[in-house]
Amino acid sequence: MLQRIRAAPPRYWLVVIAVLFFAGFPTVISSFQAAQWANALILVIAIMGLNILVGYSGQLSLGHGAFMALGAYTSAILAHRYKMDYLLTVPIAGLLTGLVGFLFGVPALRLSALYLALATFALAVVTPSLIKRPVALTNGVNGIILLPPDPPQFAKDAFSAVTGTVMTSEQWTYYVTFAWALLLFWLAWNLVRHRSGRAMRALRDGEVAAAASGVNIAGYKMLAFGISALYAGIAGSLFGMSSGFVSPDSFPVGLSIQLLVGAVIGGLASIPGPLAGGIFAYFLPIESNQWVPAQTWIPTQIASTVEKAGPAVTYGAILILIMIFAPNGIVGLVTSGYERLRRRLRGAADRETGQAPPDPQTV
Amino acid sequence: MQGVLQQVFSGLASGGIFASLALALVLIYNAMGLVNFAQGEMAMFATFIAVTLMDRGLNYWIAFPVTLVIAFAGGVAIQRIVIRPVERAPVLTLVIVTLGLTALINGLAGFIWGYLPRAFPSPFPSRTISVLGAYVSYQDLGVIAVCGVVLLVIYLLLQRTTVGLTMRAAAHNPEASRLMGVRVSWMLALGWGLASAVGAVSGIMVAPILFLEPNMMQTVIIYAFAAAVLGGIESPVGAVVGGLIVGVTVNLAGAYVPYVGGDLELAVALAIIVAVLVLKPNGLFGRPSVRRV
Amino acid sequence: MALLELEEVRAGYGPTSVLHGISLSVQEGQVVSLLGANGAGKTTTLRTITGGVRWSGNIRFAGRSLNRMHTEDVVRCGIAHVPEGRGILTDLSVDENLKLGSYLRHDGQAVRKDYERVFEYFPVLRERRRLSASTLSGGEQQMLAIARALLMKPKLMLLDEPSLGLAPMVVRAIFEIIRTINQADGVAVLLVEQNARIALEMSSQAYVLEVGRLAVKGSSAELKGNESVRRSYLGY
Repeated sequence: MLQRIRAAPPRYWLVVIAVLFFAGFPTVISSFQAAQWANALILVIAIMGLNILVGYSGQLSLGHGAFMALGAYTSAILAHRYKMDYLLTVPIAGLLTGLVGFLFGVPALRLSALYLALATFALAVVTPSLIKRPVALTNGVNGIILLPPDPPQFAKDAFSAVTGTVMTSEQWTYYVTFAWALLLFWLAWNLVRHRSGRAMRALRDGEVAAAASGVNIAGYKMLAFGISALYAGIAGSLFGMSSGFVSPDSFPVGLSIQLLVGAVIGGLASIPGPLAGGIFAYFLPIESNQWVPAQTWIPTQIASTVEKAGPAVTYGAILILIMIFAPNGIVGLVTSGYERLRRRLRGAADRETGQAPPDPQTV
Repeated sequence: MQGVLQQVFSGLASGGIFASLALALVLIYNAMGLVNFAQGEMAMFATFIAVTLMDRGLNYWIAFPVTLVIAFAGGVAIQRIVIRPVERAPVLTLVIVTLGLTALINGLAGFIWGYLPRAFPSPFPSRTISVLGAYVSYQDLGVIAVCGVVLLVIYLLLQRTTVGLTMRAAAHNPEASRLMGVRVSWMLALGWGLASAVGAVSGIMVAPILFLEPNMMQTVIIYAFAAAVLGGIESPVGAVVGGLIVGVTVNLAGAYVPYVGGDLELAVALAIIVAVLVLKPNGLFGRPSVRRV
Repeated sequence: MALLELEEVRAGYGPTSVLHGISLSVQEGQVVSLLGANGAGKTTTLRTITGGVRWSGNIRFAGRSLNRMHTEDVVRCGIAHVPEGRGILTDLSVDENLKLGSYLRHDGQAVRKDYERVFEYFPVLRERRRLSASTLSGGEQQMLAIARALLMKPKLMLLDEPSLGLAPMVVRAIFEIIRTINQADGVAVLLVEQNARIALEMSSQAYVLEVGRLAVKGSSAELKGNESVRRSYLGY
């Protein structure tokens, strides 16, 4: 056992450290900050899903905000109208959204990546209007207000034993989100390492070639869509829990763009990528909104405009710059930097073994 | 019946607007196999430039062409600065770049001009005229006329001029065109410039109806997507026909299909997109594409 | 001074190098054949000249260095390259393809004359002017490609396997016209061919490539006469 632990590659240790960090985090930060981090993790979950779709099967969805909306409304309606326990509604929302996503994969099969991007973008734009219309079900523009979740006794006990304070519903939401994030992270990890992951990557790199080597294209594309939607559905459901409120305007196109930003920043086709990307995409507008008004040299009227426009400008600039300079995102930068460092450390010995071009001969 | 006719006319007016924006999409698609998601935002930005020019006291009919020239230059600049570095990247990368542009331009417009909707002048009188017994507004007729002229100009430019010929050549086969001395990269830039100018027309035409604000084109671009997809995304003629069909359909559906009106008109566009892509992916005028390994 | 001169040119695609130092020259008005087996680097040599491949070494054309020049600019110096696969724009009409050949020229009178001549050489192109280039047969497409190259009024034509995939009759006709173009207009030709026999008949000078290197060079008559060269490199 000890042997195995010692032999574990460094990335396993990274995972362990990350888990401990995120588990202990809420005990040292405020309840409000815990709520923020819960939201960041929700974004991470949705981005993990998007990443499976984009990074591992080469299909681009700009409509994952719509899947989040579906998940959120499923949970909200079940909890609000049918008085179901919210925690139970989360997996239901995930499965339902996953099923819808799976079925969505059917028409998606016939589309090229470009058309799919176009159609899903249209879906993202239309989503708020689609939600507003069935008023009886969704309560229209007014949205649905949800009760804040009450932490169960065991969680309260454990939390107060560690911190000496009473657990708030925000902190409880954080832990619920964290647990889901862990589970889904583990799922993605396994998915990618096994047969299906390889099949999906083959799909991304060349459909015809993948089909020629016996990959069931249709099946895997739909599967990728389904799983991806499942993630988004769960994220949406958790979003309802953390914000205590769902409304059509909670799911604008901007949300889908935000998800894309997160996926791209973290690096497509990378498992740790969504974590970095999600946290960044979530805190960027929040931090900039705190930073801007604090700058006394910016006049107040302008500051409010900057607050509103700032995130869009930064998101846009980041997307463009990353695509031009670092298409593999943060994780790509880190790993390539690590590789370069390692090569440098290994010294010039390697360089000499490099093949010299053969001598030219002239006739 | 007169009511229907009236709806058809105003549908044609919005159709002309959609057609202009769809044509802009087609121009860029033909040049580099890319759907420019930022096309609507570029049009919105140009419209803000137009209103700024008019605020400075320029006459509408002077501000209009000046704006188109600025939009053209802006399109060229965007291609040179933002698109060229990723010209050879996979299409997914390019799509993400144009989405980045979408967010960036939207934010910049908000930053410069704010988010309060503002009125935009229309050069056409709001009076109506009786056509075949239906009351049609000069506004609608004017929009139809302007869009028609612009589309005609683009058609002549592409089909009847040397520049148009080299643009088409560069789009169809960049390698062979280079061997003919065509400066392919500049042709792409020219394509972006033209698209930007044509798109700007749609922005200026739609602004008096929708009010000008940074998110103005967000719905219009969806209709333009529907138009381009319906017409076959590589066909300029298709974009125009598609635009008109989408305009009329949406107007009629909004007026006569009970559940649809208001917000859900946009869902009609989504339905058109999905239906065409699933049932007839090449659209009305597109050619079937060949898959390559 | 030679019209085209390559000195120690190396080129390749990405990390794989294809040409390992090639030197050759084409005199004004001369026809030169570039022969060799598949994968010897013949096509790459032509692509190198017109800047389609990254290369190092020296290439001079009409006294100008082509170093770091883009394809469009090389072509504008007076080199017409009929590439592998002919480079026909099948989305355009025959007429539009021809127009692309002449669009850079400003000598309107001469252009009109050249059109007349081109249609004299290839009457079939006149008949099909308005049709899409995609409707042409392989031989007709080759004719269109050569016609278009001629309309560029080049000093040098690079022809990449004009005989490929064509019936012997058609091949003979096309080579006849290439000869006419060379003699009547004084256009120099660098001819890449698999069909060594017909190429050596046309050319005065010939080079044989073998895996990216020059294996043999000499006058075409010499090469034709040298049986060991013929056997080992030219395969006839």
